[in-house]
Amino acid sequence: MGNILLISENTDIYNKFKSLLNKEFNNFNFCCNNTSIFDLIEISPIDIVIIDNNLTDINLCLVIKKIKSKIENVQILLLTDETGITEDISKLISGIILKNYSDELIQTTVNSHIRNKEKLDNLSGKNKDLADSLYRLNVLYNTSSQFAGTLDTKKLLMYMIEGLDKSLSFDLTCTISFGFEQEPVLIINSLYDISEELMSALKLRAILNYKSLFKNREIPFEIDDKNLKIVKYIKNPTGKLTFNIFQYDNMFAPIDLGDNFFGCIEIFKENPFSTDDATYFQTIVQQVSLPLKSAGLYKEIIEKNEELEKLERIKSEFISIVSHELRTPLTPIKNALSILSSGRCGTLGENANKFIDMAKRNVENLTSIINDILDINKIEAGKMDFNYKLMNIHSVIENVKTNFDCVAKEHEITFSTNEQENLPDIYADSQRLGQVLTNLVSNAIKFTPRGKSITIHSELKNAQDINTNSCFDSELKTLNGNYIVVSVVDEGIGIKEENLLKAFDKFTQIENSLSRKVGGTGLGLPIAKQLIKAHKGTIWCDSEENKGSSFRFALPVTTEPADNKTIEKELL
Amino acid sequence: MKKILIVDDEQDIVESLKFVLENCDYTCYCAYNGEDGLKLAREIIPDLIILDVMMPRINGFKISRLLKFDEKYKNIPILMVTARSQEEDKLIGEETGADEYITKPFDLDDVVKTVQKYLG
Repeated sequence: MGNILLISENTDIYNKFKSLLNKEFNNFNFCCNNTSIFDLIEISPIDIVIIDNNLTDINLCLVIKKIKSKIENVQILLLTDETGITEDISKLISGIILKNYSDELIQTTVNSHIRNKEKLDNLSGKNKDLADSLYRLNVLYNTSSQFAGTLDTKKLLMYMIEGLDKSLSFDLTCTISFGFEQEPVLIINSLYDISEELMSALKLRAILNYKSLFKNREIPFEIDDKNLKIVKYIKNPTGKLTFNIFQYDNMFAPIDLGDNFFGCIEIFKENPFSTDDATYFQTIVQQVSLPLKSAGLYKEIIEKNEELEKLERIKSEFISIVSHELRTPLTPIKNALSILSSGRCGTLGENANKFIDMAKRNVENLTSIINDILDINKIEAGKMDFNYKLMNIHSVIENVKTNFDCVAKEHEITFSTNEQENLPDIYADSQRLGQVLTNLVSNAIKFTPRGKSITIHSELKNAQDINTNSCFDSELKTLNGNYIVVSVVDEGIGIKEENLLKAFDKFTQIENSLSRKVGGTGLGLPIAKQLIKAHKGTIWCDSEENKGSSFRFALPVTTEPADNKTIEKELL
Repeated sequence: MKKILIVDDEQDIVESLKFVLENCDYTCYCAYNGEDGLKLAREIIPDLIILDVMMPRINGFKISRLLKFDEKYKNIPILMVTARSQEEDKLIGEETGADEYITKPFDLDDVVKTVQKYLG
């Protein structure tokens, strides 16, 4: 069955074709002038046009072109009595009917072209569907990438609604969300503006929809007219949405995050949704669930992190205050002991002196522990002050050597220095370097048995000549230029390879120090590491079990003072 | 005899300093808060002041400033005793005019040596 249009100025032809074709086809139209042709193709469907070659008032070429531009896949058959047709025309037409064709042949020709038209229509319909699906897939793909690109709940919901708009071109969506802000929110995305009455109705409907999700279950969050906040997005504020919206086709779905509920969405459209639309809607709503869940978790992590940072600050403050409170009474204790042992209160017996010395020793110990804790706390908070001046490492080594000579003698340890002469001056904080070296030497003394030796070495070395067999190798590879290397070499118990890295780690050390028989907080090495790092140097250790350890640090030879600010940043 | 003023809100510290310094034949005056310390300083015009930083009402830095900018008292040496606490850190950088700084917990012998450096 097809719709035929015959264009001819000849009544005989009209009669002949009408009698031939009108029986089989449901619609036979006839035109004999320009105006009626175009009126006709506007109002009635046309599949096939038979056009007489022999026209006087009508421009053949022009008419064919115009018809083709108006009707997709239209079949044009030229009715002619000659076999020779101009090239222009032959390009435009689908076939010809010779006037001397038998009736049968005419019918067959027309029929075959009608079938052609059907097939073409079918094909372009499929093409259109394909293009449609492709477009939607594209939107889906874009929406998915947008989903993947953010952990912001607000944005995720916006992307979801945008995606729905692009593919379903809705008139209205109503989304209830609990993750948008703290309170439940009704997000209205509308093509047109919404009156107050309609808004109340939509709100009520959204609440009912929400409640209907939990028919036999407990409603996770009670929402009502009062606590439901409205956020409105209007695309075209000049238009107005009417109550007809409730007669529109609609779809509804919960936005579920598996174990917890996030919200629900209802979508309205004037033209009915297709099955594909429904699938698409479900897909997008489901797709947003996963990133929404991640967003929720992410938010939780951020909050936890902030909490931890706050705790860290409080901890740091707490340590600082407590340490000072602990240090305050130490002064009078120290003073009292010092007065007693000075003999200003009269001479004491040998035993009394022994116990005063014991108390003094322990006060010193406690003082250094508290100082260590304060130092590491300061370093971690990035508040350590450095006083960089041009200095020579020789004076630092000499100082430490003098301070420890007595103790070494008490422990029957041979304590010596082996310094390279004429080492260049460097910019450094001599007090802090003294602290580092003091720490290394006092450790060495703790772990070196009687009769053995400890030596402090100093030398100037190029980065490529500084190396180690230990796990610190990779760290040393980053050095560049000339360095002063100071080593404290002992003949102590040594450190196992697997414990070497841990030696500079704050927490393991504290833990170990509790079980260790030797005193100290175990914070000495972590502090030393930070102080050397602040000087842009490196500290490391070579050790062999039962043979001894060599703690070494390398300081860059610079003529420029280190930048205090960058150090603070690094420490943070 | 040379006069030394000791200002510290910790009585134990004041007492031990007083004991040791009197032992070295100095006359000691004591104050346990900033206000009394300042009043006493102006009254007796000591030869040296040992001044704690963190004290209620008027802190040591303030007292030091007040005295050092006054023609009448500016030549009195001031030994500032600091605990290097956080509150003190906030005051760092202020001009104090102090002559020496001693960090708590200090060694009594060091304090005596420093005092002797100024008073002989």
